[in-house]
Amino acid sequence: MKFQAMANVTSRWLKGDGPEAGIVFSCRVRLARNLEGFPFPLWAEESKLKGVSEKIIDAIEKSKYLKNAHIIDVAELSSTERRFLLERHLISVEFTKGGRYRFLATEKEEMLSLMINEEDHLRLQTIFSGLQLMETWRLIDRVDDELEEMLDYAFLPRYGYLTACPTNTGTGMRASCMLHLPALVAVRKINDILKGISQLGLVARGLYGEGTEAQGEFFQVSNQLTLGLKEEEIIDHVEKVTHQVVEQEKRAREALLKRNVIEIKNEVGRAYGILTGAHLISSQEALDLLSKLRLGIGLELLPGFNIQILNELFFLITPAQLQIREGRELTPLSRDQLRAKLIREKLSKVR
Amino acid sequence: MLCQVCKKREVNVHFKEIIGGEVRELHLCDVCAKEKGLGESFFPSFSLPELMLGLTKLEIPPSLGKGPQCSGCGISYEEIIKKGKLGCSLCYQNFTEYLDPLLEKIHGKVYHSGKVPKKGKKEDRLDRKVYELRKKLEEAVRKEEYEKAAEFRDELRELEKGGRK
Repeated sequence: MKFQAMANVTSRWLKGDGPEAGIVFSCRVRLARNLEGFPFPLWAEESKLKGVSEKIIDAIEKSKYLKNAHIIDVAELSSTERRFLLERHLISVEFTKGGRYRFLATEKEEMLSLMINEEDHLRLQTIFSGLQLMETWRLIDRVDDELEEMLDYAFLPRYGYLTACPTNTGTGMRASCMLHLPALVAVRKINDILKGISQLGLVARGLYGEGTEAQGEFFQVSNQLTLGLKEEEIIDHVEKVTHQVVEQEKRAREALLKRNVIEIKNEVGRAYGILTGAHLISSQEALDLLSKLRLGIGLELLPGFNIQILNELFFLITPAQLQIREGRELTPLSRDQLRAKLIREKLSKVR
Repeated sequence: MLCQVCKKREVNVHFKEIIGGEVRELHLCDVCAKEKGLGESFFPSFSLPELMLGLTKLEIPPSLGKGPQCSGCGISYEEIIKKGKLGCSLCYQNFTEYLDPLLEKIHGKVYHSGKVPKKGKKEDRLDRKVYELRKKLEEAVRKEEYEKAAEFRDELRELEKGGRK
């Protein structure tokens, strides 16, 4: 099995050192680009896909930002290995279906990566910790400028960057923030907030983007319009709305503490008790309890804990991450056992 | 009032979105609303452009038949509508008359105002210069360097005058 070494290293953006990292897990910007003179991947014959991938890989090798990137042929991966990359936010749900001449390129810290021949020829992305979308955009803008010197992007002044799906035309940009909103869920305000977000022209989705449900009280907020606005305007808007949601979550956390400190302490303490005592635990139960623990850290009920350990655990305990770490396929029972052991070990290091 | 999707059942779900003062509305029956993920709870995911795109799929005029084919990839407009995905970059030029209303429905606007590639055709390069100057201007204003900002503004005016000739 591949990626065993990668499974032992945490993505840079999981460190939890960005602004508002207690609530904003990470922020991400992705750009969709296509090469002039080639049909879009959905309609392209293999020879064309091959041509596209060669041109882009050639550009990657010459790129100052990407020359040391790890280039992975998705067709050669098992479904567990694809799932592993999906959970690390390196590939999309669409990409897990595989196919020939589909590649992922990712630099070591996983802050900068690109997919070749997904829905568009090139999908470039940057992920940072916390709420710093403008910085995230500035990096991807520079990388995009550099790649564009070497590649002929399909572009028309009127429509901007031309993409396979008309919902991406224009800037080809999707800017998103992943939020942990346990208090808004607890005080039952989350539906109002999500409704508000959509009325402001943004979309709320689950943890792994398009077509996924919210898990462990995590939500992804992103722009839906890509044509007619400048990139910075879109970034600024998503950032401002996210700030507002963060404020609401903070208020909900204060309200929770005021309403019933004992109840909250009880829930956080019990979550800690189960996580440090369990010898078998499912990923769903672990996610729910870790979410409570993460809230406990935010409320300063767990001195000595930091967000990073929790962020890492959220990602380490999924079936795919566990199996890749172990280097083999595991039965659900042995996964539950291994997961419980991993959580006990990580949490015992804290206290 | 009949549902915008099935055009058969009475409307029961209304959705309104306001972006920059522009109001876009959607009226659906219970069945179609549920199908589009607009059920009782607001989650899971829902996005108006995707919905709009879904609606547009049903609006191909029957007179169009199989529709014209793109000179670049040979894909017909009918196939594009069916999959909701364009065939190649030339589709954008070949199907402008159909695409404009579609893009307007999705984005509310049909003119790109963001980034422009550095290289490319002569007129694109001019756009890129304007783009970069505008960026510098905004940056100067943000830093309150008004002298610099005035220079950029004049340069920008010169460029835009030249572009109009």
